Amino acid sequence: MEKRYITVSTLNRYLKNKLDTDSNLARVSLKGEISNFKGHTRGHLYFTLKDETSRISAVMFQFNASKLSFKPEDGMTVLVEGKISIYEATGAYQIYVENMEEDGLGNLYLKYEELKKHLATRGLFNEEHKKPLPKFPEKIGIITAPTGAAVKDILSTIKRRYPICETYLFPCLVQGELAKDDIVKQIIEANNHDLDILIVGRGGGSIEDLWAFNEEVVAEAIFNSKIPIISAVGHEIDFTIADFVADLRAPTPTGAAEIAVPNIADLNVLISQYKIRTTNLIGHLLKNQQIKLNNLKNSYVLKSPLAVYEQKEQKLSNLVSTLNSLIQNNLQYKINKYTYITGNYIINNPESLFINYQNKYNLILNKLELLNPISILSKGYSVVKLENKIIKSAENIKAGDVVDIQLHQGEIKAKVEKVG
Amino acid sequence: MEKKKFEELMTDLEKIVKELEQGDIDLEVSIEKYTEAMKLVKICGDKLGSALESVNKIRTENGGFTDFKTEDNQ
Repeated sequence: MEKRYITVSTLNRYLKNKLDTDSNLARVSLKGEISNFKGHTRGHLYFTLKDETSRISAVMFQFNASKLSFKPEDGMTVLVEGKISIYEATGAYQIYVENMEEDGLGNLYLKYEELKKHLATRGLFNEEHKKPLPKFPEKIGIITAPTGAAVKDILSTIKRRYPICETYLFPCLVQGELAKDDIVKQIIEANNHDLDILIVGRGGGSIEDLWAFNEEVVAEAIFNSKIPIISAVGHEIDFTIADFVADLRAPTPTGAAEIAVPNIADLNVLISQYKIRTTNLIGHLLKNQQIKLNNLKNSYVLKSPLAVYEQKEQKLSNLVSTLNSLIQNNLQYKINKYTYITGNYIINNPESLFINYQNKYNLILNKLELLNPISILSKGYSVVKLENKIIKSAENIKAGDVVDIQLHQGEIKAKVEKVG
Repeated sequence: MEKKKFEELMTDLEKIVKELEQGDIDLEVSIEKYTEAMKLVKICGDKLGSALESVNKIRTENGGFTDFKTEDNQ
């Protein structure tokens, strides 16, 4: 039987396939030190990861490498994640890195984020737990290292702004493994004293240096403090866990002291303003009262008390005058009316009315006289009646009739001798 | 009044000033208030001026306090 020979590429492809289908190798988390680091112009990173006894090739392609927040370099210990595969061309197996973090620092960030989330869930950062700070503290506790810039900055700031405030330093370690317990111990100790505010902090430093202020025990001690706490960890950009739990966060120790105490110069100004304001107020008030009093004193009534009576007297006499003139007017009216009436012609010459009537009477009488048939007889006429009928025509009479002739005075009986 | 804390004194003073500024207080009361305000002004001013030397203490191992001075905070 002849031996069968396969090609190199077949072998490499076979091995690549083996590795690619192994689920254990699809996602590997690996810790190692970078060496032979080469950054390709196209942005891919080629390097070796090693420990004391072993090494593996690593490649990180540009699209993953572009997300790195640090610059990898030889000698750096890193944590990587990726898959194991074979580059067929060289037959070299290597790790294809997807994520890479600096060891230590990355871990710290992770721990920080986890703890922050954890404490936030427990409500330690909630606004309702924040204690108000007194405006004018008389005793301030400081929890920091007794040496170093932080304590100096705090004390000099307080001395400058508000020297009447007493300070009590509770010295503690502020970095290293022992720092967290030391800080906790001093927060608890400070709470045994009658202090108005606590400042807990330190000067700036690397995240590792500040780490004690990201520890859960420290966060809890701050949360449990009965005395309001200002955190003062010297770093402007990132927050420590202590900052989130503290009642107030200051960016630096100096800032914490400025928040903790008022400025005495401002206070002196404020007090003298109060003085001026109250003095002015009372001055105004007194002046106003004085004016009121003067007005009262000068008032008509007080100045001439009789004036009131004079006024009333005046009013009364006005009323009387009015009444008089009303009565007078009324009387005059009646007089006028009377005069008018008495001035009337008829009233004055009532006989004229009589004469008038007499004239009328005479006139009527005359007229009546004229109309009296008898009256005409007085002028010589006579009325001839036959059997009591007035004869107006000769036709109504014949000879021999005895007629009555009425004269103006007396009557005659006559016999008709001839008619016509 | 002297026994009160500075904060209380300042709060009292502020209150009186506001009361006076609000007006409609009768004369006797406002004069009383004014007298009180002047007292408070004096006490507060005295308190602010009283610190000849700032008191800085440090907690010692044996549980007491002792004077504390930093190198440049003499």
